Amino acid sequence: MLQVRNGEVDMLGLLFDRYQTPLYNFYAKMTQDRVISEDLVQEVFLRILRYRQTYRPGTTFRTWMYQIARNTRIDQVRKTRPETPLVTEPIAPTSLSDSAQHKQEAATLQRALMYLPEDKRELLVLSRFQELKYDEIARLLGCEVGAVKVRIHRALQQLRQVFLQLESGAPATDANGALEDSRPSAVPPGRRLQ
Amino acid sequence: MNCEQIAELLPDYLQGSVTIDQAGQVEQHCQLCNNCAQDVAMWNKFALVPRLQPSPESRARFEAMLHAYRTISDERAGSVETARKSGKLKVAWSFFDWFRSPLGAAAWSVALLVIGVLIGARVGIGTKVANVASPSQSEELTAVHSELTNMRQLVALSMLQQQSASERLQGVSWSGREAHLDPQVQSALLHTLRYDTSVDVRLAALDALSRHGSQPQVRQGVVDALQEQQSPLVQVALIDQLAEWRDPGAAQRLRNFQQTPNLNPAVRQRAEWAISKLQ
Repeated sequence: MLQVRNGEVDMLGLLFDRYQTPLYNFYAKMTQDRVISEDLVQEVFLRILRYRQTYRPGTTFRTWMYQIARNTRIDQVRKTRPETPLVTEPIAPTSLSDSAQHKQEAATLQRALMYLPEDKRELLVLSRFQELKYDEIARLLGCEVGAVKVRIHRALQQLRQVFLQLESGAPATDANGALEDSRPSAVPPGRRLQ
Repeated sequence: MNCEQIAELLPDYLQGSVTIDQAGQVEQHCQLCNNCAQDVAMWNKFALVPRLQPSPESRARFEAMLHAYRTISDERAGSVETARKSGKLKVAWSFFDWFRSPLGAAAWSVALLVIGVLIGARVGIGTKVANVASPSQSEELTAVHSELTNMRQLVALSMLQQQSASERLQGVSWSGREAHLDPQVQSALLHTLRYDTSVDVRLAALDALSRHGSQPQVRQGVVDALQEQQSPLVQVALIDQLAEWRDPGAAQRLRNFQQTPNLNPAVRQRAEWAISKLQ
């Protein structure tokens, strides 16, 4: 990154190759939308290029990149929330080797994730899928490591509840704690908003 | 260990950053506590969610973005560089331009002359200490003065030939500085008054000539110029000038001029006024 910062923008290709898949997965888990995720990845790398001078030597590139990624996501949510639903098309698991039950569980898990508030979903995605260490997340969010651990545990507990509710066919509670049966139908949130 | 204590360890256990002992404690607790066991199970279920691969176009899009970014920044850098270079060139060029211009040439000539005079004076002082204001010296000074005048006239003449109207204007103003009008400069000014393409230069030439109205050739030239003029502005200025000089001979010419077809009504009126004034 230092080389990129010093004007060797071609070196960004290496960073792109290394981080585009994790970043894409981060957005895919957060948005459940492939097209938006790819757009966001591009946007992140454009911002990296544009704001490369703000990268301070000695800091972890990954943390800095996720900072940009989070801001990009916040901007995207702000831009799209009024007009379009957060979730447009849930991503179906593509791996063919998974058993039918695993596929089902994975789909339910992703649906359950979407029921969580954005900040809790983000914590779980960063710590579990993106494999960011708690201290990295703490730096990213600007809080104590202890607080990160507590919040992750709480998010996990909430996710478990939503997951169990969805699996048993019972009405799940949405991000704001309201019961889903108060809605016109019990379809998943992505379709519900369409 | 109770659930609260386990809750403190659990996040680290989930990321695999606990000691073997601590891991054993968590696992032991989970065998007894269904709640905590389910949290761990939930965490492990994440493994079922497949890792997705971005589409191959993603890399191409990135390349295109990078290329576009590089082109833009190159262009920006290029324009800055050329601006810097052209700025330098411009400065250099304007210096040489000034150097080559008649004004520059005159300045150099004057400077060289002054140096010459100074050196001459020094030598003079060295040889004739007692005789400071000798007649030969005053003759020399007169010669230098006339030389200077000639030089200025030469500059004015060359400036009147310039392509740029502003330089010709400068030439006109230079030529008008001399109390005595050199015949050569006079004819050049009259030529300018008649044929210069710029109205401003023609008007300036008239202005320069106005100070030499005592010379019959100048008056004659101005009257002649009236017939050639197309611009009402210059026509009016010429009429005014003739009226100011109070040359009775011009009245007849003005009457003839008044008969010219397609004359601007304002010019005709002005001519009438001038004729009445001259009579």
